[in-house]
This record gives sequence, structure tokens and C-alpha cells, in this order.
Amino acid sequence: MLNTDGQLYTIEGFAAALIMIATAYLVVNATSVYTAGDTHISDMQLEALGIDALKVMDTNESHLSKSPLRDIIEGTPPGAQNATFGANFWYLINNRTQSGADHIQYTASYSYRNTTDNSVSSAFINASRNLSGGEHAVRATKWVVVNKQLPGDSAAHDRAVLVEVLMWRD
Amino acid sequence: MARLNDDAQWIILMGFLISFSFFFLALVINQSTIVGQTTAESVIEFPKNDIRDVRGVIISSVNVTNPDIVRSDITVISLNRKNAVVNFTPPQIKDNHTVINIHYNNGVTEFNENWTSL
Repeated sequence: MLNTDGQLYTIEGFAAALIMIATAYLVVNATSVYTAGDTHISDMQLEALGIDALKVMDTNESHLSKSPLRDIIEGTPPGAQNATFGANFWYLINNRTQSGADHIQYTASYSYRNTTDNSVSSAFINASRNLSGGEHAVRATKWVVVNKQLPGDSAAHDRAVLVEVLMWRD
Repeated sequence: MARLNDDAQWIILMGFLISFSFFFLALVINQSTIVGQTTAESVIEFPKNDIRDVRGVIISSVNVTNPDIVRSDITVISLNRKNAVVNFTPPQIKDNHTVINIHYNNGVTEFNENWTSL
């Protein structure tokens, strides 16, 4: 006849086994804990946001007018800075449907080629905050064709420059 | 000696089964962060926006006043600032269409296109 006397001891054994397996799993996994701050998810979202904002700024209203971004670069000689870029870009990346702005900071520059020695230099455009070195920044870039006299040029003509924006949250 | 009382054994057993299944469900949820991590990494690594951007500026270089200078701008700045080798032919006219061969390589992703204007 079937004897059920050992059931409780069997269950106790199973319980002990489960506790040991769970403990071993947690201990092994504790060496690689991913938190939202460690992952690249927020980096990817920030980069996509920046690229979209730059694309919006490089869109002209008609083929007769220049895009805002092109206007800004043509009006910013190397060594100067441009507050119009700051106002436009800051609004595009920090605007939210609810009241109160987001906390994304940026620093923007554009890179150009010096035609005399083929070197590449960067010219500052604008920044919402200075880089201290501790930020976890991502970079968004956009090619822009401008009509501008850059260092090494004798007169203004069409040039391709790369707008680079570093973005981070604080 | 009193006999071991085993009246509630099935309740205890069911309790263990349910908590064990919760544990495995928690493991599945635990994987979601890692899935998001690898997805985000591959999105960042694949230069979709870079390729579209450089392709756009190469095509727009057809209409500039000094195409040679703009073409060197694109090649030199791509290598310097984007770590990408970009090479493309000057626009050629074939059968009333403008044709450009575009090559892009950033060491991970390679993109080649034989662009023809409409």
C-alpha cells in the first residue's frame, strides 16, 4: 500500500534545493548588474533627438530661402558665437508637452577644412553650459553646405562643413 | 511518540510551486534590460544617419559653384571627424542622368551606391 509518510521531508528537500539554486543564481548574476544608467538606451535616444533637431534646423522653408542652420553658420565667423543657434536648438531638444523644460545641455561647434594645408579645425557656435569633463555626452552631427569665407579662402564660396553637437543630461 | 502531522502538505506544496513560477517570471523580466542594451548598442553602432547625411551632402554637391573644394571638404572632414572613409566620383552625365558612385566605410559598416538622378 502507498505510504505517504515521507512527503514533508521531500518537500523540505525541494525547498532547500530551490533556495540554494536561487542563491547561487543571484550571486553569479551580481557581478553584471545592468541598471538603466549603465545601458546605452538613453544614449541612443539622446543621439536620435539631437540628429532630428539638427535635421529640423537644416530644413529650409522654400528653395528660395536658406535653412536656419546654414544662416547661423554663415553668420558665425570662427572665434565668435551665435545665440540664435542656442535659442533654436535648446527649444527643439528641451521642449515638452507638459509645462517645464527638459534638462538637456549641449555645446555646439562646426568643423571646416583649411584649404591651404588640408587641416581640419573646429569653430565654436554656442553652448548652454561649459564642458567640465565629467559629462556623459553623446555626439550628433550634420553636414551643411554653406556659402562662406573660411580661414584659407580668399573669398566666400560654397563649402561643406560638419556641425557637431555634444549633448548630455544633468 | 506523536506521529508527524502532514495535514497541510498539499497547501505547502502548491505554495512552493507558485513561488517557484514567480521566480522564473522574474528571471524573464530581468532579461529585458539586457535586451534593451544590445538593441541600443546596435542602433548606435549602425551609422544609418551618418550614411544618409553624407549621401545627402554628396548629392547636393552636384549643384555647388566649386565642386572640387566641396568634394575634398567632405572626404577630409569625414576621415578627420567621423572616422569614415568616404570616396565618390565627380558627377558624370550618362543618358541625360547625373551619376555618382558613392563609397562609405567606417571600419564596421560599408555602404556603396551607384546614385542616378531622376
